[in-house]
Amino acid sequence: MLLTTLILGLVLGATYALLALGLTLQYGICRIMNLAYGELTLVAAFLLVVLFKSFGLPPLVALLLICPAGYAAGWCLYTVMMRPLVQRSGARGRLEVDSILATFGLLFLIQGGLLVVFGANFTSISYLDQGVSVLGVPVALNRLVALVICVVAGGALVAALNLTRWGLTIRAVAQSPGSAPLVGIDVNRVARQGFALGTSLAATGGASLAMYQTFSATDGVVFTMKALVIVIMGGVGNVAGALVAGVALGLVETVVATAIDPGLTLAATFAIFLAVLLWRPNGLFGRRS
Amino acid sequence: MLEVRDLTIRYGKHVALQDASLSVSKGTMVAILGANGAGKSSLLGAIGGRVRPSGGEILYGAQNLLELKPHELVEKGIALVPEGRGIFPGLTVSENLSLGANPVHARAKSDAGREQVFTLFPKLAERRTQIAGTMSGGEQQMVAIGRALMSAPEMLLLDEPSLGLAPIVVQEVFSALRRIRQTGLTILIVEQNARATLDLADHAYLLEAGRISGSGPAETLRNDPAVVRAFLGGAVTAQT
Repeated sequence: MLLTTLILGLVLGATYALLALGLTLQYGICRIMNLAYGELTLVAAFLLVVLFKSFGLPPLVALLLICPAGYAAGWCLYTVMMRPLVQRSGARGRLEVDSILATFGLLFLIQGGLLVVFGANFTSISYLDQGVSVLGVPVALNRLVALVICVVAGGALVAALNLTRWGLTIRAVAQSPGSAPLVGIDVNRVARQGFALGTSLAATGGASLAMYQTFSATDGVVFTMKALVIVIMGGVGNVAGALVAGVALGLVETVVATAIDPGLTLAATFAIFLAVLLWRPNGLFGRRS
Repeated sequence: MLEVRDLTIRYGKHVALQDASLSVSKGTMVAILGANGAGKSSLLGAIGGRVRPSGGEILYGAQNLLELKPHELVEKGIALVPEGRGIFPGLTVSENLSLGANPVHARAKSDAGREQVFTLFPKLAERRTQIAGTMSGGEQQMVAIGRALMSAPEMLLLDEPSLGLAPIVVQEVFSALRRIRQTGLTILIVEQNARATLDLADHAYLLEAGRISGSGPAETLRNDPAVVRAFLGGAVTAQT
């Protein structure tokens, strides 16, 4: 029983961690708090369903399309919508406020679009839903696939950030955007890359979520909120923190759902959120501000 | 190599620099001397792409630097060490240096560059894994200069490298500059520490209240009674 909870919690947590990673990247690199993040996740989830149901495309193949498509979508979104905000933001606080308002609007735009196209009903696919025994616990294969996707994508990104020159450039911009031009870094280009990458992670997370979970067109806010809670728990802009906090939240939710009541998962999420905000506003691993 | 013509910089109504012209030829070290608020940093900031001038032009070879974006200067071979250093405080010394070698032409030479920087500042070699922001001001200045050298520049712009440093550290920085200068790198330096700078430079411009009030070979200026009174007064400590 406990082991089942742990394994299911780990799967959910890995997806959350991947989602939070994208959000924390977008904020860390571009200083854009993207409230439409969950909606972008949902778009990818619906896309996977459509590709599977209407075109018979296996979800794993669809994922290979959705991941770069997310990058492209993020690239366009930054160029069309965020760039003007960035250009006119003098002081740092201004961009944060502007981007929150702008993406809050985008949230409803995308949500409206999804409702028109897909309706408000719950959607799901049945894909690889036979049980596999993991340490004696039966787990649906689709969840394991999602876990592997999240671990591979998240792990590759963390490795790239810490081990490559590209990652070093990204970290430099995240820390001191004002100094980056001194070493020939085009901050605007890196910010666009970061935003696109974050959107790509949102899409990957959404697509892997769609493989095992039921969702509806109005669920985006919940994803955004959960990702936001994780980002703040992990410390804003802290990649490793987001990963740990994501897995932790997945575990807590699963434990609450099985031990108390499934209806309380969201309440548990926000209880944690409040506690973190009150006592550890810089995150569990609190980098000093 | 560098030609500044009639450069004017305004911040709102305040004129920070009025019709300043200067030239730096290849392989020389040129100093801009002046008191606080004379417009030195504005002048260097404009050359380094951090300040938009309201008039005049800045030519580097045939290239008009005002047409470039700040991050493109490094690719052209101009490295700026700004006032306040502009290093990446959360990254290690080694990562800061790696970032310095970011321009395409510098990447191939990055091992040699690192070698040069560590010979110049042995302290950085010892502390390569230290987070740069936890170092002393002098060490951070070394990181900033080292990072600039990593970009394999043709020209180095230095904005008050001795500002806020203890006298002994200032000596260390200037002796490093002397060695950098011996490699034939073209240097444009802005400093308040006039005596130490004139000992090192070939040529100097004097800046007073936003205007260039005089210029000449460093040797001449060192012995010019008017300059000695205005810039080399008792307040400045003797160096090197």
